[in-house]
Amino acid sequence: MSDRADRPGAPTVFHERRTYRRRRVMDAARVAPILALILWTIPLIWPQSGEGTVSSATALIYIFLVWAGIILLTGALSHLLADEVDEPPDPEP
Amino acid sequence: MSTLNLLVAVCTAYVCFLFLVAFVADRLAMQGKKAWLRSPLIYTLSLSIYCTAWTFYGAVGSAARNGFEYLTIYLGPTIVMVSWWWLLRKLIRIGRTQKITSIADLISSRYGKSSLLAAGVTILAVIGTTPYIALQLQSVTLSFSVFAAQSDGLAGQDQARVALWLSLGLALFTVLFGTRNLDAKERHDGVVMAIAVEAVVKLVALLSVGIFVVWGVSGGLTDALNQIDASEFGEWHTDRSRWAGLIFLSAAAFLCLPRTFQVLVVENDDESHLRTASWAFPLYLCLISLFVVPIAVVGLDIMPEGSNPDLFVLTVPLALGEDGLAMLSFLGGFSSATSMVIVAAIALSTMVSNHIVMPIWLQLRPSGASVSGDVRAAVLTARRISIVGVVMLGYLYFRLSSGGEALASIGLVAFCGLAQVLPAMLGGMFWRGATRMGAFAGLTAGFAIWLYTLYLPSFGVGTILPVSIVENGLFGMAWLKPDALFGISGMDQLMHALLWSMLLNVVAFVGVSLVTFPSPLERLQAAQFVNIFEHSTNARSWSGGTAQTEDLMVMAQRILGAGEAQALFLRHARRQGARGNLPAPTPDFLEALERELGSSVGAATAHAMVGQITGGMAISVEDLMAVADETAQMLEYSARLKEQSEELSRTALELRNANQKLTRLSIQKDAFLSQISHELRTPMTSIRAFSEILRDTDQMSPDEQSRYASIIHDEAQRLTRLLDDLLDLSVVENGQVNLNLRDGTLRDALDRAVSAAAIGDDGVQLMIERDTSREDIVLHTDLDRLSQVFINLIANARKYCDSKTPRLVIRVMKETDRVVIDFQDNGSGIAPDAVDMIFEKFARVSDQKAGGAGLGLAICRQVMTRLGGSVDYIPALRGANFRVVLPYRTAMAAQ
Repeated sequence: MSDRADRPGAPTVFHERRTYRRRRVMDAARVAPILALILWTIPLIWPQSGEGTVSSATALIYIFLVWAGIILLTGALSHLLADEVDEPPDPEP
Repeated sequence: MSTLNLLVAVCTAYVCFLFLVAFVADRLAMQGKKAWLRSPLIYTLSLSIYCTAWTFYGAVGSAARNGFEYLTIYLGPTIVMVSWWWLLRKLIRIGRTQKITSIADLISSRYGKSSLLAAGVTILAVIGTTPYIALQLQSVTLSFSVFAAQSDGLAGQDQARVALWLSLGLALFTVLFGTRNLDAKERHDGVVMAIAVEAVVKLVALLSVGIFVVWGVSGGLTDALNQIDASEFGEWHTDRSRWAGLIFLSAAAFLCLPRTFQVLVVENDDESHLRTASWAFPLYLCLISLFVVPIAVVGLDIMPEGSNPDLFVLTVPLALGEDGLAMLSFLGGFSSATSMVIVAAIALSTMVSNHIVMPIWLQLRPSGASVSGDVRAAVLTARRISIVGVVMLGYLYFRLSSGGEALASIGLVAFCGLAQVLPAMLGGMFWRGATRMGAFAGLTAGFAIWLYTLYLPSFGVGTILPVSIVENGLFGMAWLKPDALFGISGMDQLMHALLWSMLLNVVAFVGVSLVTFPSPLERLQAAQFVNIFEHSTNARSWSGGTAQTEDLMVMAQRILGAGEAQALFLRHARRQGARGNLPAPTPDFLEALERELGSSVGAATAHAMVGQITGGMAISVEDLMAVADETAQMLEYSARLKEQSEELSRTALELRNANQKLTRLSIQKDAFLSQISHELRTPMTSIRAFSEILRDTDQMSPDEQSRYASIIHDEAQRLTRLLDDLLDLSVVENGQVNLNLRDGTLRDALDRAVSAAAIGDDGVQLMIERDTSREDIVLHTDLDRLSQVFINLIANARKYCDSKTPRLVIRVMKETDRVVIDFQDNGSGIAPDAVDMIFEKFARVSDQKAGGAGLGLAICRQVMTRLGGSVDYIPALRGANFRVVLPYRTAMAAQ
């Protein structure tokens, strides 16, 4: 499971389409936790009192929907990254 | 049969079932049937060790008290699991390649195998975990007392007894299955399997209660949501700082808690399991927390005022007459508590025995650990004692704190304490510049602030911290008040402690790291950790650790010297076909290395050293380094001695040679003196004799007079010639001769020599054959000296050629860079044993033919050397053959 994209010794500028796609999947996997964090810190900007307060049920539904979305996203990404192990390295251009 | 007795029976049956599961799993693992024992599903379920009884019961209680805050405890770990690609994958790879056995081991290993850091983290872990174990015991006794209240109540005495029996049972289970395998890797198939089963039980239990509450009590999902909105939850009210802070705290704790680290990293069998766990464990957390709010709302609704919301999961089904469901729920809580205690005890005992007991034991033992067998046994014993110790410490804490609110809040306090390890851990994984001093400073700062602002106050004001300090600050300084450091008050106590401890921890860690310099081992480990994906290409084999080889390399360099060690490793790497410069630590390589080391430090020591590094046992690499250093010093010292003695013997040899030369010279000088006196004496004797005759004889015929006078004259002339020759030789030999360089043909020089040699020719006529056409070679040299050489050679031929018709052939050959002139006569030549001698001074072939002083050829050789050529005797088929060689370069230059 070597992370070829991170390796400084392999400076290939252009990649095969499939390789390029895989790299972007890796990027997505890196960004996913940030997305989750942002979505779950949104309740911080909800008004705490007065007009427009969010009802508990809505809050609950929001948090669990985000949760379900994150689980699906991570599941999809980990499925896509599963192939990463067996894939051959870039063919020499 | 009362409910309590039934409960005890169910409990016992359940525990027996767990023993069976663990036993069977261990059996299967021993038979090598690991395939489904170590599946991604089991791995994911074992991660649920994070959810303890505190979260099982406490989540509902927390929801009833603080609303949605309980969710943060699950959101943090979810985010960590989602970060698997860049965070957990690296952590697990490090754990596998470096053979990490605990979080203390990880920190110590990263920072140059520091035993001080390891001990520090261990102490922190013990302090943070003991109350947590007490909390589990409390939750079980509480749930017991709930059932007991229905029948005949549970006295305080009985509560303590339940806790005691529980702790003993857990300690037994952990000792049985936690220290079963004797091999070094800290993996426990039986325990993991039992935990996975318990994970299913607690999830099923909570989901059952939740489903019952939503669809059985509230009457459907929509009604349940309406009920939530109508309850005192009502609207979204959450302390913002706590929401963000607790997400961070739970994420940090998920990484740093000894028990989660144990299952996440140490027990991991295959990195690919993480891929499944990355989404499956968040799903587990999501399901566990899904029905918490509905249960809390219903509990608040139907339970009498003042009842403990922490036990709603149990009391709500009981109140509604669902005894079976309550029993399931009880088992869920029981599972949560027991699995936590078991894994925490294993993790802590590993740390305590490896980083505290063993170092002390090894220190106390006089002989040091040279036999690996007894160390193994000692480790095992230490681990067993540690397990019992840790569990009993938890029990003791439970008895002393006597339950209550103080204990309930200890969960987050413990989280905050263990989170102090996070900066050193993440810094070590991603920043090569992090140093041991930095990690130590950060941990110390964070730990101290946590202790002062959170842990000690958690026992209640006035218990450990005096009231005066809380009210007036440490030493009466207001800015040191434990709940308002630096004068910033009004914050939530937990958030206050978290903020300051983490802030100062990170500042100290980074700051000290920036200004200190790491040891070589630290730098090696830093590179290993940060660039783990470059160092470990083969993640699946447990035995293949480059780290090991690097350690061996460091050690070998100290003993063999850098160059030699590198060459050795490179050679083996090439032989193995490895890509880098480091070979894999195969038995072949280890044997070869041991042999190499053995030649320097002795076989037994080499074996112990290699064994200790590859065995990865209790002796630290640092110790080995010390040994290696000493050995290197000794080697260096002996190398210096050897060098000195070599120099001495070299000098002695030189002196001996010089002495021999001097002796030889002295002998030569003696020989020369006797020779020269002899040579001078012979003519002098005849001169004296004949002059005496002339003086003393009165009557002498003029004929006789003239004959005697001519003899005297001849002898005087011979004497003069001898002296001239001697003078000439000494001049030529000393290089004082001035060469009179001029142009001329070789023919002229030979003509002059032939005519000069003919003077005084009285015996047999010497025939000289020449090919004058080949002699037209223009030379730029000292022609007089050259002629002198030729004269000498021709005269010798005349003197010594013993043929009846003596003939001398002078042959000239022009080659590319030299002129060769051969003088060959038709005599019998020079005897082979005399050939070596003829160019020496006073050397004469035979005494009978003594005509000169024997200096002629010696002078010839000296002259030719001065002219840049040579004269040699060439053994020919017949006759004497002298060869004169002149460099042609001189001739060319003249043209």
